[in-house]
Order: sequence, then structure tokens, then C-alpha cells
Amino acid sequence: MKKKLIIGVLLVGLLSIAGVYYFIFYRPTHHVRDIANEQAIKVTAKDIVKEFQTNESLANAKYLNKVAEITGEVLEAKKDQTGKPTVSLKSDDSFSNVFITLRGTDQLEVKSGSSITVKGVVTGFLSDVVINDGIVTK
Amino acid sequence: MKKELLLCLLAVVVSLSVKAQRVYSTKIAQVKFISSAPTEDFDATNNQAESKLSDKGQVMFGLLIKGFVFENDLMQKHFNGDEYMQSDKFPKAEFKGAITNIATVNFAKDGAYPVMVIGDLTIRGISKKQSAAGLIIIEKGKVNTKSTFKIKIKDYGLKGSEIGTAIAENIEINVTAKYE
Repeated sequence: MKKKLIIGVLLVGLLSIAGVYYFIFYRPTHHVRDIANEQAIKVTAKDIVKEFQTNESLANAKYLNKVAEITGEVLEAKKDQTGKPTVSLKSDDSFSNVFITLRGTDQLEVKSGSSITVKGVVTGFLSDVVINDGIVTK
Repeated sequence: MKKELLLCLLAVVVSLSVKAQRVYSTKIAQVKFISSAPTEDFDATNNQAESKLSDKGQVMFGLLIKGFVFENDLMQKHFNGDEYMQSDKFPKAEFKGAITNIATVNFAKDGAYPVMVIGDLTIRGISKKQSAAGLIIIEKGKVNTKSTFKIKIKDYGLKGSEIGTAIAENIEINVTAKYE
């Protein structure tokens, strides 16, 4: 009986040490946000550009750092300086589109003109609405 | 009469081509900052900066603070949070300036041309004069720029308690742009 108690106490002690280590020391420095399972705001490329053009601060409040799932027509697909694929989705205004940097290094096999859906984190509005960490979902 | 008309047309064409400036732009400029402090070194990179450069010497950079990617989430959260960048309130940083010795750059000839740029750097809604040395690199008709400079982060109203210990007071900024 006493033995069981000691083992129990030891077990709880070990678990809490592991927990403290994981949550206080390991997780904050190793955890990376994974948007794949996060709830996304569904929107078209045309609409999100229009929202940012109409009222940027309102759109910032709605989208900044949130996950959006954006559908649009591919304008061009390229790579950034680190080799990550990028894709631009068309809006109604050729000056402002949606610029997305994709996660990973796979070259995006899309033809300009085809329609795709990308999930990613909205970082804000420069001349384009900018999305980071994108995943092509459709 | 016909000859005069032709001359007139030629003069117009020449004056137009003299005035016309070539503007190079990119949406994938890289801006990296490096903090070397007594207790910690760290850096973060933004690969989505926009930049424009004209062959008359005008230069502009714009980027989104939330586009800086850190090794870990916690740092990224602190960086964007209230004590530091307040990126919900101030989502952008911007530089607008001019290259003072643009006349020394021959855009038609390959080479690495040292340049000086002076302008206004705006971070957290605060604008300060900033100068930097850099290179304009012409390679097979492509224009690239590189620059490294330091900023004093307290100039831009950052007041986090870790400045001076885990975060350097002067942050090094590295900029690389490959224009189209």
C-alpha cells in the first residue's frame, strides 16, 4: 500500500516535471503554428482585395494574423529568394492582387488562368494583399 | 517644310526619351534583421517586401511586420506584441529615399556599384532620417541591390524591458532586392 503511494507520488512528480519542461521550456521555443487545421475565413481574391481597398483598418481588424482560405484565378507563379514558391491571384484591379508565399519547396504546378484555393496567414496590405505560409487546398 | 516637321518630331521623341525613367520593382525583396545582445542572438527574415528603384535614384521599400518569420512562435508573438512592434496597430514599415550618387551607376554595364542612400524610415508610425551604404549590382541586365545598416530601436518607440539584455539596442538590417 505504502509502496503504491510512493510510486504514485513519484509518477505524479515526474509527470509534472515533464509537463513543466514541455510547456515552459520546450513548447515556446519549438512550437510552430500549423494553420492546416485552423478554422479559415473563406473569401475570393477579388473580395479580399476590395475589402482592403475600401477600408484598410477594418480589413486589418478582420484578417490580420488570421487564416484565410482564398479562391482566385492564378496570375503568375514564381519563387522567392529562398526558393519558396509564390503565387499571385487576380482581382478586379490589376494594380492590387493577392500575393501568396507557399509553405514548403514544391514548385506549384499551375497554369496562369486556372482557379485555385489557398489557405494561409494574412499579413496585411502593401500594393497587394499579402499571405504567408500558404497551403494549396484545391 | 516636311524636313522641319520631321526635326520637330525628332526633338519631341528625344526629349521624351531623356525624361523617361526606368523603374525596377520587386515583391520578393528580403529584409532580415539581426540582434546581437549580451544574453541572446536572434534574427528574423521577411521575404515579401516590396521595393521600387528608378535609374534616377529614387528608392522605396515597404513591408509588413507580420511577415517577419522567427524560429519560434513565442518570439514572434513578443515581437508583434504591445511591448515591441504593436503590429496590429502599425502593420507596416516603409523606407522612402534617394541614392545620392546615382550618376556613378551605369545601368547598361555589368558591375557592382557602391551607393549611398538617404531617406525616411518609418517604423511604428515614427519617421526618422536614415542613411545607408549599399551596392547596386548589374548582372546581364538584371538589377540587384544589397545594403546593411543599423538602427537604434529606441528611436522608434520600442520600450520592451529586454532591450539591452536579450535584445540589442542597435539592430542590424540586411536588405537584398532582385528587381525585374
